Amino acid sequence: MTIDPGRSATVRSVEPGGARDEDLLRRLVAGDEQAFRELFRRYASAAHALAFRLVRQAQVAEEIVQEAFLSVWRNPDRYDGARGSVRSWLMGTVHHRAVDAVRREQAQRRRAEQASGIGPGVVEDPVDDLLAAIDLPRERKLVRAALGALPEEQRDVIQRMYFEGLSQSQIAERTGLPLGTVKSRTLLAMRRLRANLGEGTR
Amino acid sequence: MIRDHALIDELLAAQALDGLDADGAALLERELAAHGDCEECRRLEIEHAEVAGMLALALDPRPVREAMADRILAERRTAAAPIERLDARRDARLGWWQAAFGVAAAVALVFAILLATQDGEGQGVPGPAIVAFEGTAPGDLAMSFTPGESGALVWATGLPDPGPGKVYELWMIEDGDPVRGACLAPESGAVAAFLDADPSSADLLAVTVESEECPDAPTTDPVYTAEPGTTQ
Repeated sequence: MTIDPGRSATVRSVEPGGARDEDLLRRLVAGDEQAFRELFRRYASAAHALAFRLVRQAQVAEEIVQEAFLSVWRNPDRYDGARGSVRSWLMGTVHHRAVDAVRREQAQRRRAEQASGIGPGVVEDPVDDLLAAIDLPRERKLVRAALGALPEEQRDVIQRMYFEGLSQSQIAERTGLPLGTVKSRTLLAMRRLRANLGEGTR
Repeated sequence: MIRDHALIDELLAAQALDGLDADGAALLERELAAHGDCEECRRLEIEHAEVAGMLALALDPRPVREAMADRILAERRTAAAPIERLDARRDARLGWWQAAFGVAAAVALVFAILLATQDGEGQGVPGPAIVAFEGTAPGDLAMSFTPGESGALVWATGLPDPGPGKVYELWMIEDGDPVRGACLAPESGAVAAFLDADPSSADLLAVTVESEECPDAPTTDPVYTAEPGTTQ
């Protein structure tokens, strides 16, 4: 799957006729419940999908989403517009919490495996699932196309790091690649994704 | 002076994906400090964060019950009322006593739970444990948990102010890897917090002073430590 590198895609965090995310956040600071509901409607299901992809447990994923949005509702002034969009802030918060949960779980599982003498199970590779869907909303199509346009070795690093919650050291350990290679592939992948996602990342 | 941003670019890319481990996070912190007020660093951080923020959209959405939004909105209403009442009559002295009372209530709750649990427990089942932290800084810090179960209470009194824009952060060190536990923001030196994890799986518990964003890896040396095995 490729994407025309000259194409400049535009995906903005606002719906036709809807308020901008940043305006909703401003209303949220004033305690506007409708603004919260609108943000929740826009992002909760994507946040839930992200949390579930990482933790693979429905209840834990729900708790992560609830905690993240509760934090937004209680402390909307923590959002700093100079440091990026509302979407990246929200998704970053959810990802951060989910990765914490994954790493706690990994550490506990590692101990259990060491104690029982059983090695780690086979890790499924869901990247193909991400790339195979059809009839998707435009944003999802765009992001999947950008992921699909990555060289396989770069996509693999993004997959393991972002969608499985592994650190660079853990990826190096599991793949047998030098840590420096994992780091450079991460950076190259992020640069290429940015180029392919274009204006949507603003 | 023109600075090279190659290393910071690489570190920020991994940070945006939550892929840095402790060494990388500490290195990034040092690099950012060395760059000072750096516009290019901010630009790179935003760029990587925006790319990472979009990746989540690749997934098929997973519906969330609307009741969750109602629960969240209800949380604030019930939590906000007493705080507003207290704020109206708060002064520095009263603030200390409120904080101390909160900790005392948490301690009383812990002991009540301990007594209740011990009364009803069967033989051979590990009961609740309390572990006290030791440190280079003054103050008393302790944690109560039941080994093998998720959930722990952390409380403290007499902690020094971590400094402007700083908080204490609790880590569970497991096989040499720090796993984030909780962010602790003391009020007049007092803290009472709940940790949603099983600390008994850690080799060491450590508390460091971190920025109020609560980084996902420690960037300073511990000021308090405790071994979960050495319970009271």
